[in-house]
Amino acid sequence: MNRFQQFLAVILSVSLLNATILVPVAHAGMVTTQEVATVIATGQAESGQARLAAALARDEVRAEMERQGVDPAMAIERIAALTDEEAARLADQIDTAPAGGIIGAILLVFFVLLLTDILGLTKVFPFTRSVR
Amino acid sequence: MRSTADQPARGRRWFSTAIALLAALLLSGCATQSTRLQDARPEGLPVRSELVDTPFFPDDSHFCGPAALATSLSAVGLATTPEALIGRVFLPGREGSLQVEMLAGARRQGAVATRIPGTLEALMRETAAGNPVVVLQNLGLSWAPSWHYAVVVGYDLDTGEMLLRSGPVKRETISLRTFEHTWNRSERWAFVALPPGRLPVTASESEAARALVQFERNAPAAKAAEAYRGGLARWPANAVLAMGLGNSLHASGDLAGAEAVFRHTAETHGLAAAYNNQALVLLELGRHAEARRAAERGLKVAGPLRQTLLETLGTIEKAAATD
Repeated sequence: MNRFQQFLAVILSVSLLNATILVPVAHAGMVTTQEVATVIATGQAESGQARLAAALARDEVRAEMERQGVDPAMAIERIAALTDEEAARLADQIDTAPAGGIIGAILLVFFVLLLTDILGLTKVFPFTRSVR
Repeated sequence: MRSTADQPARGRRWFSTAIALLAALLLSGCATQSTRLQDARPEGLPVRSELVDTPFFPDDSHFCGPAALATSLSAVGLATTPEALIGRVFLPGREGSLQVEMLAGARRQGAVATRIPGTLEALMRETAAGNPVVVLQNLGLSWAPSWHYAVVVGYDLDTGEMLLRSGPVKRETISLRTFEHTWNRSERWAFVALPPGRLPVTASESEAARALVQFERNAPAAKAAEAYRGGLARWPANAVLAMGLGNSLHASGDLAGAEAVFRHTAETHGLAAAYNNQALVLLELGRHAEARRAAERGLKVAGPLRQTLLETLGTIEKAAATD
């Protein structure tokens, strides 16, 4: 690729990025409620950089959701339901954040959990009744 | 087995190790709230309360997230089923549901999802007020977690019990102390989902505002306006809520209503964002002179929004010139 083509490629991809990701501005010039909250909380306006970072976080989460077995069309919908802050948090923690779903305790810890259940510290097994 | 002499000694060593481990486990976390609550009952809190009509969606697989969410939404008139929510909040790769998605999922079903304080008293006050609470528990231990969503539907201070819709159990009674242990491990995470216009009784002003701004993002404008009105009824001096109401009215096409809200917010809070939005709504209404005045007043207090107000002023001048 010569220099001109490279330059063209960069310009095109940046403008595409702008067109696809940075679109959701409801009405030109209106300050959104989220922006008001940000200004009041931080004393600063939202930067374009922050908006771009949020857009990239969304893309990352979407890819990760698909990898984790979410239907691609549903993943897009789920991403749309997230705020920028939530998307950024998920991008960081999708693999580590608590996922409520009870995964059966492995045998090694079975007896410990049984004991702690009886002591009323945990509640893993439906059949236990705490002593106190 | 007992033929060699050192066996009893080893046995004793094992026994003392077990005792030490047990002691460590016992001391590792204290259920302080439940003790305090039962010693001194908070004022105005009924001794017991139970939302017996809360629906129940039994689950004994990995779908406690969708089940808990469906329970809480259906209980407040936003009928749904766990099956309808699985695709929206369940993450197959993690065999569970994430907290962020539980909140986002509730919003997608048309509810305002508000985090409430991490106290047993808050859970009790909510159920006493008729609001079931979705909680995240770690039923196991910090190093062997069993993350689980359940719905608190009541309590009994006399017997010292929490009442839950939980997994396969329709009416789980769990001692306050055990519940507190399991809840502490999730950093006492809890939220209440309610239709727009209502908010949990224990919600703080900042959590309520955060929940409402999040709700506005994907909600129909008229619903968002209704939700903000509910917030303003409780915290009339909150500028974020007022701006949210103005923006929602504007998005729903009620220009006159939006203008009135922005004007009032601009005057009472001296908020640049309010002047800016008021100016743009006035422009849409064709009141150019007033629009310019509002934008100019906003520019004086603009601060970090200086660029925005300059652009607004430019837009107004351009529109006036073409007239």
